[in-house]
Amino acid sequence: MSAEKSEIIASGSSLQQEMDIPLGVAQPDIAVLREVTPQFENESYSQLVWRRFRRSKVSIVGGFMVLTLVFLAIFADFFSPTTLYGVDLKASFIPPQQVHFFTDANGQFHIGPYVYNMVYTLNPTTFQVMWVEDTKKAYDIHFFVLGSEYKVLGIIPMNLHFFGVAEGGAVHILGTDKFGRDLWGKASEAGRISLTMSLFGTIISILIGSVLGVASGYYGGWIDNVLQRFTEFVTAFPSLPLFMALAALIPKTADSFTVFVLMACIFAILSWTTLAREVRGKVLSLRESDFIMAAKEMGASDSRIIFRHLYPNVLSHIIVILTLTVPAIILTESFLSFLGIGITEPLISWGLMMRNTQDIQTLGQNSWILAPIAFMVIAVLGFNFLGDGLRDAADPYAVK
Amino acid sequence: MVNYIFRRIVIAFFMLIGIGIVSFIVIQLPPGDYASTYKGYLLARGATEQDATRAEELIRQQYGLDKPIVEQFIGWVKGIVTEGKFGYSFAYGKDVGVLIAERIPMTLIIAILAHAISTVVGVGLGIYVAPRKYGIADNVWAIISFVLTSVPRFSLAIIILYILVIDLKQPSVSSFFSPQFVFAGWSFAKVVDMFQHIWPVLLIAGLGGVARNMRVMRGNLLDVLGSQYVQTARSKGLKEETVILKHAVPNALHTIVAYQGTVLPYMLAGELEVAIVLGLPTLGPLFYEALVNGDIYISGSLLLIYGVLILVGNLLADIFLSVLDPRIRYS
Repeated sequence: MSAEKSEIIASGSSLQQEMDIPLGVAQPDIAVLREVTPQFENESYSQLVWRRFRRSKVSIVGGFMVLTLVFLAIFADFFSPTTLYGVDLKASFIPPQQVHFFTDANGQFHIGPYVYNMVYTLNPTTFQVMWVEDTKKAYDIHFFVLGSEYKVLGIIPMNLHFFGVAEGGAVHILGTDKFGRDLWGKASEAGRISLTMSLFGTIISILIGSVLGVASGYYGGWIDNVLQRFTEFVTAFPSLPLFMALAALIPKTADSFTVFVLMACIFAILSWTTLAREVRGKVLSLRESDFIMAAKEMGASDSRIIFRHLYPNVLSHIIVILTLTVPAIILTESFLSFLGIGITEPLISWGLMMRNTQDIQTLGQNSWILAPIAFMVIAVLGFNFLGDGLRDAADPYAVK
Repeated sequence: MVNYIFRRIVIAFFMLIGIGIVSFIVIQLPPGDYASTYKGYLLARGATEQDATRAEELIRQQYGLDKPIVEQFIGWVKGIVTEGKFGYSFAYGKDVGVLIAERIPMTLIIAILAHAISTVVGVGLGIYVAPRKYGIADNVWAIISFVLTSVPRFSLAIIILYILVIDLKQPSVSSFFSPQFVFAGWSFAKVVDMFQHIWPVLLIAGLGGVARNMRVMRGNLLDVLGSQYVQTARSKGLKEETVILKHAVPNALHTIVAYQGTVLPYMLAGELEVAIVLGLPTLGPLFYEALVNGDIYISGSLLLIYGVLILVGNLLADIFLSVLDPRIRYS
């Protein structure tokens, strides 16, 4: 059977090869042949999903946004022109440097973009501190330059940076924060915590939600009743105040890793309810379906039915909920960190970067420290777009 | 129906007990009991060891902190129900019940206003975009609603605060009224002044609600518009407006009512976030300060209050829906 099938597939592919050659007369015959030849290979589930997913432009954009942030987060050291870990109080609150093109102040022509260094001066009339461009020397922005040492993924030592300027110059395209750290590099790095924590929290919540949902739907009876009441209770609880109360209970002295894990767990304990409900509904309808009946008749154990037959069928829903839970956790986490009851230094997240904006005076003079908002919006929007497209794609057998 | 409402109330009552227990656990979770926290607070404030220890013992006796946990819980609940006493806040030197009573009216006014505005605007937009499915207006509003729900609310609040304070130089942002109205009686001018101060909260908390209501209404209306009786109405020669507004919309509204119960927590959370950033004297900043100071009776009691508000909101939505839609199953 399999040999036969592969033969047919092989002949099919040879047909295709022939198609590529413009033979003029033979072409119509092949087209007819292709039409009458039944397709032997059915598209797999993942192929169907991918085909549907590809059709939705919005979700492609969403996926691209998410991937960009993930990429920036993983290779933050590479994308940052300077080291991520240094503190330079002399460079505190430098505004975003303007990138110039073509001819500089000295009449010199530049092929690529260039920047001027920022110097610290006092306004002659108001005596306010201000940063101005030092137009005496222009620094070309070079790509793939060698700079400060870092380790890719914490292992491979490297000193290549995506862009940078020659020795003596500095480039901060989004400006610097209170400690003189490059906001662009830091915001890229902050994605590591913001994204991994939300993903970690989501995975825990999915473990809880899918187990409770499957148990509730599959066993029914009193188990279902108890679990449903419990789910209802958790849903009715005010989530944001509870997140805040629990996060505030994490001792200030706890080490970073503990804080990270505890925060993720806090988000997980209230986020599983939607998933549990959806999975329960799906399992309820699947339980009576023929293939589950058949499996039961053949004497399959409960665990076999649950893990081999039910789980794969609810997986699509789980993935959709995953993409919708992640942004919810990103939003909550950023708010808690912004308030100072979430992630604390030395870890860094987008919300924590916003902490300085609480002081209206600091914010008033240095409005560029709002930059992390853009990263958050891209992340949340990206996941929402992605989830929206996946929701349609996850059930490719549905007739529209 | 009475039976159904009664059962809903009984369920809500049990939920209430559950919420009470969780709130009480939050009060109990910090290391040491309340009395020792209070002692630490007094010592930090420069009280002598002797005074602090005496105060600690006084508090411990007064609140029965040496009794078993269950007894303490019953005592706490009894205090709330019979005397309206939620526990003592050391930062404010008052009972938490008094603080809550001071701040809850404005919190509720803001949440309910935001809720009402977002429902009306959201449903209106839903009705507007549903017949224009996949048209320009539909797509534009879909994208706007996506963006609105994707921007962190606290950062929107920061941006508005920045504009108000730095660009417009507006004074008294962190209060409900301008100074001249604080002690004045209620008048039209005072209400206008109040709106000038609370609009950022209404806007930010409401925006997300608008987006959600719009999406739900659009979906419902599209479902209803596909049903046969709508086709019948059209084939009678009714104007499309009449078909939509008189025939389809009333039947699409039920889900919106049922959905209101889940929008309320969203509004309260929005109010919480924005009020903390702006520093408006509602429950939100009180809750946040209490969490930072470890003023546990405030945080625990407010958790309870938030839970009760949401519970009542859900209950009202359920009851209202059962009155509105007799087809609902009471099993």
